[in-house]
Amino acid sequence: MSLLAHTVQAGTPLLLGTVGEIYAERSGVLNLGVEGMMAMGALIAFMTSFYTGNIGLAIALAMVSGALLSSIHALLSISIRANQIVSGLAITILGLGLSGFLGKPMIGMIAPRLASFSIPILAEMPIVGRILFSQDAFVYASILAALVSWFVLFKTRPGLNVRSVGENPAMADSLGLDVYLIRYVCVLFGGLMAGAAGAYLSLVYTPLWIEGMTAGAGWIVIALTIFAGWSPLRAVLGAYLFGGVFALQFRLQAIGIGTEAPQFLLMLPYLTTVAALVLTSIETVRRRIGVPGALGLPYFRGES
Amino acid sequence: MALVLGFLSAAPLFFAVGVNPILAYQQVLGVFLSVDGLTESLTRGIPLMLASIGLCLPFKMNFWNIGAEGQLFMGAFAATSMVFLLPESPAFILLGSMMTMGFIFGGVWGLIPAYLKARLEVNEVLTTLMFNFVAILWVDYLVYGPWRDPEGFGFPLTPMFPLNARLPWIPGTRIHAGLIVGLISAAFVYIFLARSRWGHELKVTGESRLAAKYAGIDYVKLTLLVMFIGGGLAGLAGMGLVSGIILRLRHGISPGYGFSAIIIAWLARLNPLAVVPVSILFGGLLVAGDALQIGLGLAFATSLVFQGLILLFVVGAEVLTRYRMTLSLE
Repeated sequence: MSLLAHTVQAGTPLLLGTVGEIYAERSGVLNLGVEGMMAMGALIAFMTSFYTGNIGLAIALAMVSGALLSSIHALLSISIRANQIVSGLAITILGLGLSGFLGKPMIGMIAPRLASFSIPILAEMPIVGRILFSQDAFVYASILAALVSWFVLFKTRPGLNVRSVGENPAMADSLGLDVYLIRYVCVLFGGLMAGAAGAYLSLVYTPLWIEGMTAGAGWIVIALTIFAGWSPLRAVLGAYLFGGVFALQFRLQAIGIGTEAPQFLLMLPYLTTVAALVLTSIETVRRRIGVPGALGLPYFRGES
Repeated sequence: MALVLGFLSAAPLFFAVGVNPILAYQQVLGVFLSVDGLTESLTRGIPLMLASIGLCLPFKMNFWNIGAEGQLFMGAFAATSMVFLLPESPAFILLGSMMTMGFIFGGVWGLIPAYLKARLEVNEVLTTLMFNFVAILWVDYLVYGPWRDPEGFGFPLTPMFPLNARLPWIPGTRIHAGLIVGLISAAFVYIFLARSRWGHELKVTGESRLAAKYAGIDYVKLTLLVMFIGGGLAGLAGMGLVSGIILRLRHGISPGYGFSAIIIAWLARLNPLAVVPVSILFGGLLVAGDALQIGLGLAFATSLVFQGLILLFVVGAEVLTRYRMTLSLE
């Protein structure tokens, strides 16, 4: 497999998760539960595929499982106005725990996996054809999802509503928007996408079930969301950049470079995220990118 | 109440994996009702306690340090490096320097995000989170690379510590002197919060940063101070792990102590004295996870399921009491 094709594969679960988290955060809800939702999605997809052999159903149920977990976070952080950080962490711990607990019998099993297929004419294109158009349905869907969600978020009325709810919920409320409903929808969408990202891991990327197989991908999604400045379009770039770091690390190890200290390469995504955070903290950059003003703050109707 | 509900709600899960829930609960109760189980819960509770006490401080001022795990790893790293530097020195010098360096390195690992937040308003949730992974990878680099035991059959671990690098322990158990450090820290932080001027400033800042500013409180200084102490305590937790229990540095020294510590601090309502029993309870959950794994062949992750469910029920219960309060007011 070529390095760039591997890059795209490593970046795909990150892209799926990030697009979802961007919507949640744009509506003002920080969800630290991505890692747990991804783990749950990975397990449910693998189990469904193992018992039914139906890949479509596996993906659908994985997304539902992600959404179910995110609905707990939505209930706690939006309606009950609990602390979003604590609630999100609880989702991660619960998702990792449940998937490890229920998934024990699945370890070492083999289930039908998602095959890749080439898009007829496009795959013939030099270079790009092999990298982008000889992949699996997930890769195409994730790019499409990123493009569509960028368009919806920045070019349509519902997207504007999401952004205004995240920027200034009191104002949005006074303009007649249903802050709670919009936030619920966005958080649930985040859960669906995280579930799909998990399904990609266990059906395509590493077609197996291993406890803790998300291996921090969910945390990278949180990092990427900021790195991408809450834009689904920049998320494509960011996801493939981070995916490239993983692919490069495997490739370098295969030829004997970096075997001494692959840990430093693995640190790169985290360090670049911190650097990106510092950069976005500069006021002018902050204003241009548009950090959601009410991110992480619960909304109390009738207060402030 | 929420605790009991959290436990009971796991019953259908045991059915789902074909295990009689009553047998499972017997195992869990066995941990809390036997001497061995309790001493082991205490042992597992020590790092949780130290890290969690450290978190009470920044959380009080609404500084969301998610980085206790990384601060713990940096403390373990610094403590281990002292073993390499002063292998021959007497125990009290070596242990003293391990504790000091563990505290300092954990503290400094907390200072960086604190500085970024206080000076540049960089979101601390994300920086502290990212720093966890950097610290864990740094320790991995050392134990897979330069510090790997040449006689360790290729496993990612350092050579065993000499006896002078080992914290005193109670014979017959694995309880070590870290417990005393934990209890002293709990008392110290409690007094610090309740009695000192800084404790008062923390509370004011936690209520409202704007009010704190008008009251003349130096936000930058306070954040740095709090995160140095808080990170330092997490660093001590790491020192206690390598010097009291594992007796070497290796890959994966912590099964997420730093993350569980966040939940513990929250459940204890940021009261350092309440952290002590809650930590021991959570230590017990880890032991129960082991027991269920060995006794019934369940995944160790069972203890995570308990942690998650308990937290959700506590948050839920809080709401019920809140609504009852508003009802009685009307």
